[in-house]
Amino acid sequence: MAAWESLQPFLPQLLLVLFALLMPALDYMFKDKRVLAAVALAPLLGISAAVALWTLAGVWEPPTSSIQLLSIDVFSGMFMLVFMSVGIIVVLSSPEFISKDKNQGEYYALILLAITGMTIVAEAEDLIALFVGLEIAGISSFALSGFRKGEKRSSEAATKYFIVGGFSSALTLFAISLFYGIAGTTSISELGPNMEDMFSRMDGAESVALLATVLLFAGLGFKIAAVPFHMWAPDVYEGAPTPISGLLAAASKKMGFAALFKVFLLGIIVVKADWEVAIAAIAIITMTVGNLIAVSQTNIKRMLAYSSIAQAGYILIVLPVGTQYAVAGGIFHILTHAFMKSGAFMVVAGMGAAAVGEKLDDFKGLSRRSPFLAFAMALLLLSLAGIPPLAGFSSKFVLFSSAVYGSLDPGPSWLVWLAIAGVLNSALSLYYYARVIKFMYMDKGPAEKFRPPPMITAAVAIAVIMTVILGVGFEPVVDALLEMAGDLFRALPLGT
Amino acid sequence: MFENIPILTIIIMLPLLGTVVTLLLGKHERHARVVALAFSLATFLLSLLVVYAFVTAPDPASAENNYHNGYQFYESYSWVDSLGISFTVGLDGISLPLFVLTTLLCLLSVLFSWDTTLRPKEYFGLMQILEVGVLGVFVSLDYFMFYVFWEVVLIPMYFLIGVWGGPNKDYAAIKFFIYTHVASLAILVAIMAMYFEAGVRSFGMEEIAQESIGFSRGMQLAIFAAMFFGFGVKLPMVPFHTWLPDAHVEAPTAGSVLLAGLLLKMGGYGIIRVAITSLPSGADDMVFPMAAIGTASILYGAIVCLAQKDLKKMVAYSSISHMGFVLLGFATLSEIGVVAGVFQMFAHGLVTAVLFMMCGVVQHKCGTRIIQNLGGLAKKMPIAAAFMTVGFLASLGLPSMVSFPSEFMVLYATFSAWSLWVLVPIIAVVITAAYYLWALQRSMFGPMTTKIDMSHVRDVDWFEAVPVGLLIALIAFFGVFPGLIFSRIDPAVQTLILRLFGGG
Repeated sequence: MAAWESLQPFLPQLLLVLFALLMPALDYMFKDKRVLAAVALAPLLGISAAVALWTLAGVWEPPTSSIQLLSIDVFSGMFMLVFMSVGIIVVLSSPEFISKDKNQGEYYALILLAITGMTIVAEAEDLIALFVGLEIAGISSFALSGFRKGEKRSSEAATKYFIVGGFSSALTLFAISLFYGIAGTTSISELGPNMEDMFSRMDGAESVALLATVLLFAGLGFKIAAVPFHMWAPDVYEGAPTPISGLLAAASKKMGFAALFKVFLLGIIVVKADWEVAIAAIAIITMTVGNLIAVSQTNIKRMLAYSSIAQAGYILIVLPVGTQYAVAGGIFHILTHAFMKSGAFMVVAGMGAAAVGEKLDDFKGLSRRSPFLAFAMALLLLSLAGIPPLAGFSSKFVLFSSAVYGSLDPGPSWLVWLAIAGVLNSALSLYYYARVIKFMYMDKGPAEKFRPPPMITAAVAIAVIMTVILGVGFEPVVDALLEMAGDLFRALPLGT
Repeated sequence: MFENIPILTIIIMLPLLGTVVTLLLGKHERHARVVALAFSLATFLLSLLVVYAFVTAPDPASAENNYHNGYQFYESYSWVDSLGISFTVGLDGISLPLFVLTTLLCLLSVLFSWDTTLRPKEYFGLMQILEVGVLGVFVSLDYFMFYVFWEVVLIPMYFLIGVWGGPNKDYAAIKFFIYTHVASLAILVAIMAMYFEAGVRSFGMEEIAQESIGFSRGMQLAIFAAMFFGFGVKLPMVPFHTWLPDAHVEAPTAGSVLLAGLLLKMGGYGIIRVAITSLPSGADDMVFPMAAIGTASILYGAIVCLAQKDLKKMVAYSSISHMGFVLLGFATLSEIGVVAGVFQMFAHGLVTAVLFMMCGVVQHKCGTRIIQNLGGLAKKMPIAAAFMTVGFLASLGLPSMVSFPSEFMVLYATFSAWSLWVLVPIIAVVITAAYYLWALQRSMFGPMTTKIDMSHVRDVDWFEAVPVGLLIALIAFFGVFPGLIFSRIDPAVQTLILRLFGGG
């Protein structure tokens, strides 16, 4: 009985790993590879339904468990919802995209394993568990980006991603060891109190903590592709198979944020004064650089890559503001961005499956060639730009308003500049998003029509529908997030 | 009459339903115009019923029209409770004229676009979404939904300019989109600041206004300045007007009508409904900039009109001049000035629609709008020339036309507030007469032009004559009986000004 209880937080991972191991076997058994996708969808759908019924509808509640390593709470639940949704969209659009490739069993297995790693990060209560999760997700993603090993771009992407990922893991691990040195614990919740204790007893402990903080931010900064750790992202997103680019941009990156929120807001908020200005600056630089470079891109996947760098800049606002509203807004934006970005990549995948290219010029006249894809893309891009009543607006609204709120009494008034930088950047981003829309609707392109494959169409439709629903009916999500963030901050020994 | 009937929600949703029906037409694209006409006619008729109920209510405060705190047809539903976002709508004397103007101009624009053959399904669908957005802005009593509707307007207009526009449409469309979007974002930040500073966990305009009046002077000024910028760009005010001539020249005729007739009014409406109402001391501190910018817009717009070669561009610049009167009226912060400003918005909406429609007719029939290439059109198209003449005369403020009382009252309010400074905007009245009469003489009268082939030029078609004729009838009617509208605007403004400035 005790063993069973201690296993409960692992249930999602167990389920995912089980199905991942099933995949290669199914690959031998079935000629029709769509079966693989259908089976891979099962755990994703199951977990997301369970989590949604719990966090959003409040139909049931998972039992609280006693182990120290992982815990299932609304915070991890929300991130799981993000990972599962992206997983569903990616898996759904894969069979038609990789229909001619070998090793499809391994492909789905790796996707499930990558998601397993992400869920571990979201549930982690301990730095070691966090690191293990990051590695599982990382290694699976390296392999996935190199899935088309015959393709030069794909192999290049995998190699680059592997080197950068290895480097960032090393930084993260080094930071964790330093934190352990100061605090004598790897438990995230004990990190803060123990560090404060150490500061009072030992001179110089604070500078070690600062070094560890910098290293950790650098390590995780690679995962979320914050400037100046962003160089790999456009190359990898461009080279990887398009559904995998969607997985990387919409889910992997969010895993980095889960880790950042956990460590910076739960663990080391005691030294917030040391990092808040620096991270605020990085947030502004990241969104500005991402948007500026996106303007000049000619490849849609690179443009989307820079756009998600910019979005990472928006989400980084959460850390310096560090309030209930900010966390709720940040996770809300992570959720909406997951749908918008994965949807946009799946539109590209749909075009790719119909042998239309990935250049921006290939979008010319798309509204006549494939009205559905053009309409979906237009909606997703407008949402990314933050135009109401779409999801991207609602989440940016909560996120940016948290910075305005933080800047009023008694917070530091400079926080308002984060909101101003955010809205100015949104306006800037509108330029390159609107340009794609212009290509699709106002320019003339090749005349022949094409029909995107049905499963990719379904995946895109899910993303579009969620983008609209989260734009208008976002009440349950925001309620759950605000409540969760409130509990989070009440539980904290907040010195600030 | 509409007790417990959510009439405003029904009216807003009707064009949305029309859009859906239009998009479902599939291969029967050519019927899009019929669907759009049916839905916009239904919307217009319902809005007339609303006016009837508004006007005939024996006691406005009775439950008959769902009266609530100064607003009739009030409805409020919770939307996102934890953030205090609600779906709240209502009409008062300030929004009523603009509300009806919207349904009217949308109906006439659909009719005027009767011969649109390029992608008609999308064209009429977008027009109806635009109507949803503009109506939503004028009835919203919640900042969040106000902003949502405000932004919803941008996208259809972007497409209307970008797909159905003139030769330089790409540039004009994206300039319009980004310029006005940046302005919107200033409003957004201002709304966020008001929401959190008020601290009542509500985006309701009334709830926030009760608190925001008590904000510190500095805070009021900062928020007001952001709002003034945001709304002013839409108005447009000099020096943030440059998107307007480009957008107008490239937009299709119906697009121009909606742009000048309705979208500009959103800016003026925002200033009076949101900025001045919530932040009176901020407005008080900004009186001088508002008056100066208003006067500058009046003069600059008029002077630039003199130099225009393109008939439509001239009309576009004249809009800047006329909307300057709105701002100048509001800047007096007096009852008569604000009433005149609101009336001027209504008047300009009617008049400018005629002017843009007639520019469209000229372009359509003659193939050019360049004044130098026109001349003597009255001989070939007498009805069009008559319409054009009446439109120009109405726009220059001829007595017995609708613009006269409103501009006169703005000038009167200016005189009351700043005595002889009124002479500065009055100069523009002379210039306005000059550019209109000069343009009229060169394009419509005088010797027949030889620069274009006039042999196939026909007079106006029925679907062009009906909307223009109707508008001209309204222009003359409200020119003779302006009191019908004044008496609706005045009570709303009176309570507002009394509450804010104690009768100022």
